[in-house]
Amino acid sequence: MKKKAIVALVLLLSSSVVLCADTDAQDAHNLVEAAVNYYRGKASIATVDMTIHRPGWERTMTMKAWTKGQKDSIFIIIAPPKDRGNGTLKRGQEMWTYNPKINRVIKLPPSMMSQAWMGSDFSNNDLAKSDSIIADYTHKITGTETHDGKKVYVVKSMPKPEAPVVWGMQKLRIREDHVFLSQAFYDEDFELVKIMTGHQIQMLGGKLFPKVWKMQKADVKDEYTLLSYKELAFKQDLPGRLFTLSSLKASRR
Amino acid sequence: MSIDVKMAWRNIWRNPRRSILTISAIAFASLLLVFMLSWQFGSYDTMINSAVMIHTGHLQVQAKEYEEKRNIRLVVPDPAAIGGILEQTSELAAYTFRANAFSLISSNERTYGTIVIGIDPLREARVSTLKKLIRQGNYLSADDSNQALVGKLLAKNLNVVLGDELVVLGQGRDGSIAATVVKVKGIFSSGQDEFDRSSIHIPLKYFQDVYAMNGAVHEVVALGKSLEYIPEIKSRVTAGIENMNQKDHLVVLDWMELMPGLIQAIQMDLVSGFIFYIILIVVVAFSILNTFLMAVFERTREFGVLLAIGTTPGRLTKLLLTESVSMTMVGIVIGIIAGSLITWYFQVHGIVISGAAEVMRQFGLPERMFPRLSVLSISIGAGIVWVITLLTALYPALKVRRLRPVEAMMSA
Repeated sequence: MKKKAIVALVLLLSSSVVLCADTDAQDAHNLVEAAVNYYRGKASIATVDMTIHRPGWERTMTMKAWTKGQKDSIFIIIAPPKDRGNGTLKRGQEMWTYNPKINRVIKLPPSMMSQAWMGSDFSNNDLAKSDSIIADYTHKITGTETHDGKKVYVVKSMPKPEAPVVWGMQKLRIREDHVFLSQAFYDEDFELVKIMTGHQIQMLGGKLFPKVWKMQKADVKDEYTLLSYKELAFKQDLPGRLFTLSSLKASRR
Repeated sequence: MSIDVKMAWRNIWRNPRRSILTISAIAFASLLLVFMLSWQFGSYDTMINSAVMIHTGHLQVQAKEYEEKRNIRLVVPDPAAIGGILEQTSELAAYTFRANAFSLISSNERTYGTIVIGIDPLREARVSTLKKLIRQGNYLSADDSNQALVGKLLAKNLNVVLGDELVVLGQGRDGSIAATVVKVKGIFSSGQDEFDRSSIHIPLKYFQDVYAMNGAVHEVVALGKSLEYIPEIKSRVTAGIENMNQKDHLVVLDWMELMPGLIQAIQMDLVSGFIFYIILIVVVAFSILNTFLMAVFERTREFGVLLAIGTTPGRLTKLLLTESVSMTMVGIVIGIIAGSLITWYFQVHGIVISGAAEVMRQFGLPERMFPRLSVLSISIGAGIVWVITLLTALYPALKVRRLRPVEAMMSA
């Protein structure tokens, strides 16, 4: 009788441990998905300054960005005048780029996806796969910190075995109100490659949002890319025709 | 002539057939080494020259770190000034300017990431074989603008033919977006797949416009009159750059730094060559050891008598060594003379590798290979034969010292 009771207890305990682990992973997954949804909104329109900084050299361009859901986005450069009208359309995992001078659209081949986007520290992959953090990774909360009096979750994200991703690991810091604080990218040997951090958290488009994003490579000091939001508005929806090749080509908007 | 040398010389000719055989073994080994080494060095010259002629040149002036980073902002800002230094260097055959940018090249159907190279059509033809490598269409002319030469494999990948349009999309020196449309004017094939798959060439002036280069280039490529002048040219150009106070900004790289793979291939080949030579020399050494040993055994009784009448063992050793040195010297001299004559004949007339000529010509290589006689190729082989033979001769010469006069005289 006693033996049976112990067996039952052990079984109960072990099953609850399994359940617990499951809910942990589920929690982490929900947290990351909530953060991505918070960050992207249902749809958004933004004006962003992108500053590429290199030792002894710096260049800023301004672009307008529209996003819809987790997959679709379009960026059009509006300044400087020389680059005005150049654009990038991303739909799902595919990307196209348009140049008004030659009036051509080019689809980026898979081999180019790890190249720098517009010469910045962001790669084409960073843009094309911005939602892959939800689909291609399993998440685990490894710790908590505090930031501005709010709780911050540290999430370790490992790629799923078959996932088509270039990173060996990512580490995210997400505040309890779902604001992304940082995203660190590691290679297969778990060496830090680059890190994106959010700064100047303030009210933007009706919610708290980091106004400035900084992407910095781990091995070089004085090289980084800043994204600074000048305007940001979140929408319930945007028309699908915005995210088409003809929209990419239309220079007036 | 001292009595010892006279005796040694007479001893050699006491058994002329054996001595002649030994001498000819030594002569043959030296002859073969002289020819093979000259051939090897000559083929390296051909290899290096034809490899550098495809693209890299013997020597390049670049911005510091450009070779590793390939960053479009690392430029040679004033190419004409470097040209001025090169003009004053008399050992120089020709030079040209180039600019490179990694870009997207897109046909109607496909897109690839490739290197776009801006070339000066007239100067380029004197430095590289590009003009001769054109298989279809024409080479660029001086006043071309949006025309391009495309590698054969790239053309196939992009599925374009002569006259088709290619869209080029990259980033300019100032970070702006560089975009243009070029027409395929010629298709080249160098036989180096990497080069044929990943590059297109457009006129330098046009490149500088599209990529906002502001007159700058990335490489000043120079070709020397001969490979041996390269270190000299390199130090002169380096000095010239120092005079211009550009030392912190520009570097001079020679072909070994530009193509480390080539020098590694040569070293590999040298090593395998030397293994062959060592085997050859060991075989020769054993045959020489054999004759020397025979000479001693045969003459044990004679040495016994010599010792008995008061010759010191040291003098016997000296006598034997004099014999072997004389034979080796005669052999090596004959070998060097005959080897040099044969090598010289082929150096003048060249060697046609039958069947390969067609292929070689196609890739801009000379159809004849020329061995190259040099002090080095003559002396290395002869030197090694000399050392090995003397080491071999040492053994019987020292063995003689252990002979006891009475026992020696008793032997047959």
